[in-house]
Amino acid sequence: MEPRERLLNLIQLLLHTTRPLSFDEIAERLPAYEHEDRESAKRMFERDKETLRERGLPVITTSDPFETEHLYVIDRDRYYLPEMSFDEGEVAALFIAAHGDPSATLAFGKLMWGTDRDVLRGVLDTPPAAVDSSVERLFEVGAAVREGRLVAFAYRPAADTEARREVDAWGMAYARGSWYLIGRDRAADDVRHFRLSRITSELEDLGEGRPAPEDLDLHQGLRSGHWGLGEPDLTATIAFSPKVAAWALPQAAGAELEERPDGWILAEVAASRDDAFLAWVRGFGPDAELVAPPELRERLVASLKELRAAP
Amino acid sequence: MPRPKIVERVERLLSIVPYVVRHPGVTLGELSRLFDVKEEALAQDLRVVLLTGVPPFGPGDYIEVTFEEDRVWIGMAEPLTRPVRLTPGEALALYLRGAAVVGSPGLVEAEALGTALEKLRVGLGDDLASLPVATAESARPSGPLDAIRRAAREHERLEIEHYSYARDEVTTRTIDPEQVFAQLGAWYVAAWDDRAADERLFRIDRIRGVRPTGERFEPRGLQGLGRDLYSPGEADIRARVRLRPAARWVAEYYHVEDAAEADGALEVTIPTGDLAWLSKLLLRLGADAEVSEPDELVARRRELAATTLGRYPEA
Repeated sequence: MEPRERLLNLIQLLLHTTRPLSFDEIAERLPAYEHEDRESAKRMFERDKETLRERGLPVITTSDPFETEHLYVIDRDRYYLPEMSFDEGEVAALFIAAHGDPSATLAFGKLMWGTDRDVLRGVLDTPPAAVDSSVERLFEVGAAVREGRLVAFAYRPAADTEARREVDAWGMAYARGSWYLIGRDRAADDVRHFRLSRITSELEDLGEGRPAPEDLDLHQGLRSGHWGLGEPDLTATIAFSPKVAAWALPQAAGAELEERPDGWILAEVAASRDDAFLAWVRGFGPDAELVAPPELRERLVASLKELRAAP
Repeated sequence: MPRPKIVERVERLLSIVPYVVRHPGVTLGELSRLFDVKEEALAQDLRVVLLTGVPPFGPGDYIEVTFEEDRVWIGMAEPLTRPVRLTPGEALALYLRGAAVVGSPGLVEAEALGTALEKLRVGLGDDLASLPVATAESARPSGPLDAIRRAAREHERLEIEHYSYARDEVTTRTIDPEQVFAQLGAWYVAAWDDRAADERLFRIDRIRGVRPTGERFEPRGLQGLGRDLYSPGEADIRARVRLRPAARWVAEYYHVEDAAEADGALEVTIPTGDLAWLSKLLLRLGADAEVSEPDELVARRRELAATTLGRYPEA
């Protein structure tokens, strides 16, 4: 009997049985374990049972009343997927999420058990809008957060050298196309964001982490604009040329104030005093004019003068 | 120990068998797309199912699998009439990928996905209950994403007005949109561009004014997700730039080559078909980036600084 057959038979037997079975009872019913050499057959059964457990199947071991023998059964309540139903929109959305990842795809297949076939066919026939959120170690980090672990890894920040960090894994965030781990950096004794693509080593598990504070705000630090540094702490007024206004505004949570007679769009944007904000404005070249506040406008002009004179 | 590949196939069958029982006469094609498995592999696995059942195998204890052309029926599969639970790994994968979709700008399915993930969270219980995930707030509009997705689905030729950041110009083009995908937080469409008579990648938030032409096109099988956002050209200029720490992010967002560490700075080569966008990027980086070649790029940055200062009469 080949392994696929043997495992499928074992699963069905342990799911179907109304009482836990001993190895001898299993071997009687399943010829695959009926060897002349009972010990080697038993070892094969033990390995199969462990394989099923490793894959998350709830194989339970109990003892008979005289405690002379182990008995086995699959816990049906923990085996079967609970009833869940999804409407057409949810099915289409889940398909987009699952698309492209083997584990997520199998999860999607399981969840579609009760879905109307016509609905599903419509979704499967449509090429999904694909979102690339893949990054190395995404699921490992997710598991560490779920289990509340303390983890260590080498980290290369955007503007600093690589160093080892020890972090209580508290949460995750997805922003501007990147995944972040949020947790307490033990050395800095502060809450930090770690971009997963900047983690340069395997995750090392250092045991149970400290629990997250109840008022932990995962969004903290994610609200900054496209310039990606610090929190916006003031509002600036910028005029954008019609060429760039449409895609510039959403980058900085901009709100249009008025359209000038020359077609330029005057807008309020979330800003900060950080150099990175001025850099962002400079990146539009002559298609943006920083109108206010005057203090930022002066700093921008000064930086442009330096660049005009640069060798 | 059974080999991992074998175990994977068994696991998959624990979900495929109940699906076929529930949907009698489903085609192998549908199963193949749903579980992302080749039809031949599916047929082979289902023939193994035929040999199994609830031991000891009396008459009627074997699962019945019937094929008719490309359709399949399964009966007598009593313990396998409902799917097995999601493993913690599967639930995590679907949940995290779902969160990323919710956090992608302007996707019309985001709301439905939010409710679906909530159902998952409630239905699966402790597997996910303690996984705090935040997505960037307020999914911002992302240009004419819906209109372009519809056109890609229906193979409809579009006329678009597009702002090219690379060349700093607005052009009107006729495109055959095929693949829509998000990468690094922005939506792209891979399309055939009539004007260039070649395939092109357009960032959707830089497209304005989408007009359906009413014409249909035959898809050419363009690649979507997974393609390089930069496509090399023969006439590309190779700029060598030294990025100080505050400018290192450039290497994460753009295609760079021959990166080398140099005293805390990162030296990179940025190949480009056009200096217009690169001189703007360098104006943005200011003193945090130093150009070693070509000289023309250094001059372009100076000129751009001067032109930009033209917006500030007081200067």
